[in-house]
Amino acid sequence: MRAAYPLERYAGFIGVAIFLGLWELAARFGWRNPAIMPAPSETIITTLTVVPLWTLAEHVVVSLWRVLAGFALGASAGIVLGIAAGWYRPVALICRPFIEILRPIPPLAWIPIAIVWFGLGEPSKIFVIFLGTFFPVFTSAARGMASIQPAILRAARTMDVDGVKLLAKVAIPAAMPDIATGLRIGFGLGFGVLVAAELIAAERGMGHMVMEARQLGHFGVSVFGVFLIGMINLLADRQLASAIQLTVGRWHRF
Amino acid sequence: MTPAIEVIGLSKAFGNDAAPVLGAVDLAIGENEFVVLLGRSGCGKTTLLNIIAGLERPSGGSVHVGGNPVTAPGAGKGMVFQQGALFPWLTAQRNIEFAALNRGSGAAEATRLAKELLALVGLAGAEQKYPFELSGGMQQRVAIARALALDPKILLMDEPFGALDEITRNEMQDELLRVWAQRRKTVVFVTHSIWEGLILADRVLVMAARPGRFVLERRIDLPRPRRRSDPLLVGLYDEIWSCLRG
Amino acid sequence: MRGRAAEWLLPLSVLVLFLAAWEYAAAQYWLRPIQFPPPSRLASSFVDLATRGFPQGITLWSHAGTTIGRILLGHALAVALAVPIGIVIGSYPLVERMTSTIVTFCRSVATLSLLPLAIVWFGTGETAKIFLIGYGCFWVMLPATIAAVKLVDPVLIRAARTMDATPGIIFRQVVLPASLPRLLSGARVALGVGFMVIVGAEMIGTIHGLGSLIMEARTFYRTDITMVGMFCIGGFGLLVMFVLARLEAWLVPWQARQEAQQK
Repeated sequence: MRAAYPLERYAGFIGVAIFLGLWELAARFGWRNPAIMPAPSETIITTLTVVPLWTLAEHVVVSLWRVLAGFALGASAGIVLGIAAGWYRPVALICRPFIEILRPIPPLAWIPIAIVWFGLGEPSKIFVIFLGTFFPVFTSAARGMASIQPAILRAARTMDVDGVKLLAKVAIPAAMPDIATGLRIGFGLGFGVLVAAELIAAERGMGHMVMEARQLGHFGVSVFGVFLIGMINLLADRQLASAIQLTVGRWHRF
Repeated sequence: MTPAIEVIGLSKAFGNDAAPVLGAVDLAIGENEFVVLLGRSGCGKTTLLNIIAGLERPSGGSVHVGGNPVTAPGAGKGMVFQQGALFPWLTAQRNIEFAALNRGSGAAEATRLAKELLALVGLAGAEQKYPFELSGGMQQRVAIARALALDPKILLMDEPFGALDEITRNEMQDELLRVWAQRRKTVVFVTHSIWEGLILADRVLVMAARPGRFVLERRIDLPRPRRRSDPLLVGLYDEIWSCLRG
Repeated sequence: MRGRAAEWLLPLSVLVLFLAAWEYAAAQYWLRPIQFPPPSRLASSFVDLATRGFPQGITLWSHAGTTIGRILLGHALAVALAVPIGIVIGSYPLVERMTSTIVTFCRSVATLSLLPLAIVWFGTGETAKIFLIGYGCFWVMLPATIAAVKLVDPVLIRAARTMDATPGIIFRQVVLPASLPRLLSGARVALGVGFMVIVGAEMIGTIHGLGSLIMEARTFYRTDITMVGMFCIGGFGLLVMFVLARLEAWLVPWQARQEAQQK
């Protein structure tokens, strides 16, 4: 058992290393055409030479600001409405028709109408990201509230805790694991929507950078951009996950 | 002298069910008496307990605690549930402080009380542990401490040891009696274990279902702690067992 | 009495009220018709779209068919690839640990960001879109398959071993059926992802398909068609999901009963 330990620890890294290695070899000796698929080394070189660092940073910052703004709006609205809907039946019933009709519409399908309503600038993109984040957060929050263990609520009531106090001090903390998971899912979806929205209708941002690079013939930059997006998404998700682990994770076994 | 708990003609029925869950039961429990409600699952014992607690409304009859009619939970009716009632996001100490703060204690007083009660139930040192870090037996001790923090008039216990393994269960029964000796309260304890009833109770009330009613009542005047091999208890066991078998 | 009737009466009346208010506001020109076409207009546009189509000649059903066809093809390819690979990975813990980082990373790559790459590799035709759908579905189906295999209840396998079952039989008659429910639910989620991907992918460089429909409509200032298109996308999405859920229930009837029992 013990002997396998070092191998286990680095298994992930080894896997990635093998993957990158194979890619590099295949690109150099396989198809040898950087226009089809550049080697990892080539993408980095191309990007560093073609794209000024300043522009790259600008694209990243714009994307991040969009997704954070959209996420903040979507998450807040989702949590507030979700908790209200999960706790007060009338709220749930009133929200239900709108949510059920609008939720199946993929966030990207909102892009054209967002442009009609908000123009081609930032608000339309933030709106779409807001939508992408809102529905998962709302659903998780509502479901979390509805699936609180009844014993906890009963116990609180035997301690003279009721009404709004019950909601704030007992119900919401009890539903936090579900809400936290919903936030994580919502962010992931929001990020995906961001990239797509930037591809389709934007002049700045990482998605746009990938698109533009192809049109200008800098394929290596496109590939690099795709990887950059993946890395940032992964890092952001990791951050969110550890934040959750440090707060809710202290008392809940996920 | 007003009984601590008085139940008169209490009945409970759901919709058009043929037989009511509770059919006009009467019960009077004295101050600091330890009463056990014993019966199979579904005989109405938990329903009766919930109505006394104020968590459920009866279809007919009345309940009075300390002379006052019961209309809602809380107000000195402490309760211990079978499981899952500790707030998982609070440490053991904070769980107990929650109850104390809610009664109107100040923060310092609440902390002092919490530590005192944790020591009382034998959990000194576990103050900062979260429920998921505690074993089932330890969690129930915290639950009991929390209920005591309310300084309740009565203590209602709904099969509190039902989810524990038998060895822990026996330990917890002894623990409960030890704590109760120091903090006397009127206790109504629901269980389906005959032995548990015999070890703990001043009075055992056996219930049957359809309609829920009392079918046997026995006083147990043996001093505590009782030995499970005591011939009086063995005799009572046989009597109750044949009564439950019908 | 109050409970059951209110359950659907309240949502319904809220909806009707909302639509009526919308219609009224549009009639009073409080809402600009170019931004908020009233429900009546949407209804007539829907009929128009279903019969005559937009752009001229391409009906709603034709668009829907194109889109759904693309999704199903991409999805099928992804599942066909992901299941065997996933079974292998899920069955050998070492392989799983080695590939987990890569899988996590590839899942984080926003599928649509690959669109430019797909165009370079496959041109602007169908293949690029199918590839994208396949990519999106694959990275949902693969982790789902791995999990499905890994999470087979060990008790079931142990029970089979006490009955002298060979590894082959254990695999075919225990592991596969036991992982089927998760596989199917993974396929359902993958389909949802595929749907989202294609709607986005169709917004660039094509006039066939639901995504392109709503994009085209906007450039021609036909907001009414854009809205109708959106709701239709939602509707078709629900329909496809519903069919898949029915299929799932038919294939794994024991799952629903098990879940009901556990409640």
